[in-house]
Amino acid sequence: MKSTWFEVARPQKIDLNDWSQHFRLVRDEQIKEFNYYHNPEWGIYLSPPATFMVYGARELKRLKFDNSLASLRMWGFVFNESERLFRAKQMGKRVIATMGDLGTVPVIIMAFPNCIPFYPECIWWTPFFKESTVLLDTATELGIPEAACFSKATLAAFHKKAYFPKPDLIFASTGASCDDYSCIMQLVNDLGYEMLWLEIPFRRHNDEQYPDRFEEYLISEYERVWNKMVELTVINDKTGLIPSIKKANRLRSLAERIKQLTYEAPITPLPALELMTIEFGNLYGYADLDEWLDIVEMINETVAKRVEKGIGVLKQNAIPIAWITPSADPLLLNLVEDCGLRIVGTEYVINQALVPIEENVEPFRALARSFMKASLIGSTQERIKRIIEGVKNERIKGVLVTNMLGCSHCAMETRLIEKMLSKVPVLSIDVPVPFGITEQLRTRIAAFAETLR
Amino acid sequence: MTEILNPRERFGLLVIDEKPDRCNIIPLITSHAATVAGIKLKEYYTDGEAMAKAQITAIEEYEHDAISIFSEVGIIAEAMGSEFNYPDDDLPVLRIPALTKFDIDKLKIPDPNKDSRLPVYLEAIEYAYSAVGDKIPILAYVPAPFTTGMMLSDPNQFLLDTIRNPEQIKKIIEISLEAAIEFSYEIINAGGLPILVDPLASGSVISPKAYQEFALPGEQGLIKFLHRYDFDVILHICGDTTPILDLLLLTGADLISLDKVELNLAIERLAPKMRIIGNFNTTKLGFGSPDGIASQVREMVKHGIKAEKGYIASTGCEVPIRAPTGNVKVFISAAKEAGWFLD
Repeated sequence: MKSTWFEVARPQKIDLNDWSQHFRLVRDEQIKEFNYYHNPEWGIYLSPPATFMVYGARELKRLKFDNSLASLRMWGFVFNESERLFRAKQMGKRVIATMGDLGTVPVIIMAFPNCIPFYPECIWWTPFFKESTVLLDTATELGIPEAACFSKATLAAFHKKAYFPKPDLIFASTGASCDDYSCIMQLVNDLGYEMLWLEIPFRRHNDEQYPDRFEEYLISEYERVWNKMVELTVINDKTGLIPSIKKANRLRSLAERIKQLTYEAPITPLPALELMTIEFGNLYGYADLDEWLDIVEMINETVAKRVEKGIGVLKQNAIPIAWITPSADPLLLNLVEDCGLRIVGTEYVINQALVPIEENVEPFRALARSFMKASLIGSTQERIKRIIEGVKNERIKGVLVTNMLGCSHCAMETRLIEKMLSKVPVLSIDVPVPFGITEQLRTRIAAFAETLR
Repeated sequence: MTEILNPRERFGLLVIDEKPDRCNIIPLITSHAATVAGIKLKEYYTDGEAMAKAQITAIEEYEHDAISIFSEVGIIAEAMGSEFNYPDDDLPVLRIPALTKFDIDKLKIPDPNKDSRLPVYLEAIEYAYSAVGDKIPILAYVPAPFTTGMMLSDPNQFLLDTIRNPEQIKKIIEISLEAAIEFSYEIINAGGLPILVDPLASGSVISPKAYQEFALPGEQGLIKFLHRYDFDVILHICGDTTPILDLLLLTGADLISLDKVELNLAIERLAPKMRIIGNFNTTKLGFGSPDGIASQVREMVKHGIKAEKGYIASTGCEVPIRAPTGNVKVFISAAKEAGWFLD
């Protein structure tokens, strides 16, 4: 069989126009091959970035993407999520909003047949992808102060009912979590959405030595989630938790393998933007976990092949750095790589979604233990210990910390992180409002790269 | 009635079979935008930035739900060699068709970034997209292959040749399809959603048999190309399409924009498979009284919103260039009132 363009193309980052050109070589059968919820009629999603740009995602015009078929598939799937959630509801699935815990409650939801968990807060990317202040302005009109964190976009999305369907249930986690987002969840509650509130405990000790009662407390919270789900679905079969945990673990181990391959390869096989998207996929599989798993498998194969051949998307002399807190503006990840840096470590505040869940203990206990690794519930030292480790063994040459508008963690933590990482250069930048990346910011990142070099 | 959604969000819900706050309202405000913006028509159709600015002015004035980048149906044919006159205050008029005989070999697929006024359209799309593309869909009208074919030839001769030289006509349509695909490709990269317009495939111009043999394959080809992008495709055909209603289902279009068809009949026959767009009589918009327009629009929308897969309140054809702006405003406000879905 004749090789396709994808099989012979040199790995590289390409822009939207290049993708459109390559997409013309994709066969019709290939487009039909992938669909979500196994629905070939409206479930196809293998589209080039131009499709989503035409539907309003303006930042895609400026971004660069990995040129593999696996990455094309990934982007089509990720950008299709809003449609997918509406379709889920149309086909009788239950759509469950899980807010604030980032990684654990969805594992419980997925133990129930035909129940789709999703994170409304992930809507915070939307203003950046659309280069639009629509959701942020609407949130302001709804009473959120202008300077509140970008997650306020979630409130606007609940108000508009155009970004995801009305959830059948909402689980909202508060306590030792993001305080701005807790306020936003309260305002969502005020819009008339009923919520089951969960409490996240604060981890006063390190993530391995904490009082047993924390686990017991979390287990009791997960029981409440379970009971509410039973009420909704009239299904009460806890054996469903075991395959759900196994699936979550399969995804977590795949994502970890891709990260390690990428971090350790002499030439970076996958761009940071795609890698971040994979990391966040661990939270809930972008509303179709089975399809997402298949996509991540495909990316894993692509990355492994590239590593084996010693080829990749960045120059060999790219300087390894770590990134702390995600870049809300995806263009920043492009920019850092354009300046000659490569990401080899991240702390995107979702540690709890990255660690394996124990399979040899009672499921809720296993989930509680994995959640106790959470980024935001303990000390800063704990949060960044993996980065500190990387600096010590000289794997990480510099660290980039992003501050988000209105994020109190950032305001409190950034100086602490700088202090704790005093052995390497640290650059702290403020994530600009949508389409706010300025020449000054470019210059600072370029100067940082130059310093490291 | 406080609107919750912007046009982008409203259109987005429609194409995934969800009900927005109110029905989408997209009258075909094309060159009429020049009147609203107070510029000469010639400036509108020869200067992309002027076209985009006029469209933005019109949308600010009327608050309808999409920008319509379009001036006339000869745009692709012109880039393939047909010559047009450019009157100062009227739309381009076909002067010399590219094909005087069947010298089909001399036809070339135009480069949308270079040839004739295709770059004007692309510039207009880019400008509009960058100005308001996050909030408002940018619709870019692409003449379908049959219509372009007719603009490449003497129109009367072209119609006669559908009988006398059908194979030659099919070749012209094939080349026109290729040109339409290339143009659509660039439109997409600029940020526009291509919508097909095939006014000369109307039942008022050709028979159902001729439609099936000559116009339908070109429409299908272009729609197939756009479906690769997972777009929901709009097809507009002017005039009376009653005799070809069943054939329209074969086009593959997801939304059908109709002109002189009884709306209830169209809903009965097409709405289970397609979303319906239409179809207010534009003559009434040009010359009717505001009160008459308001009541007729309300009546139309009342029926239209029964379409099971969704409905866009629109005009059957382009809003007349010099239609009174007051009448257009009445159209839109009546449609908003009658098309409100929320309690």
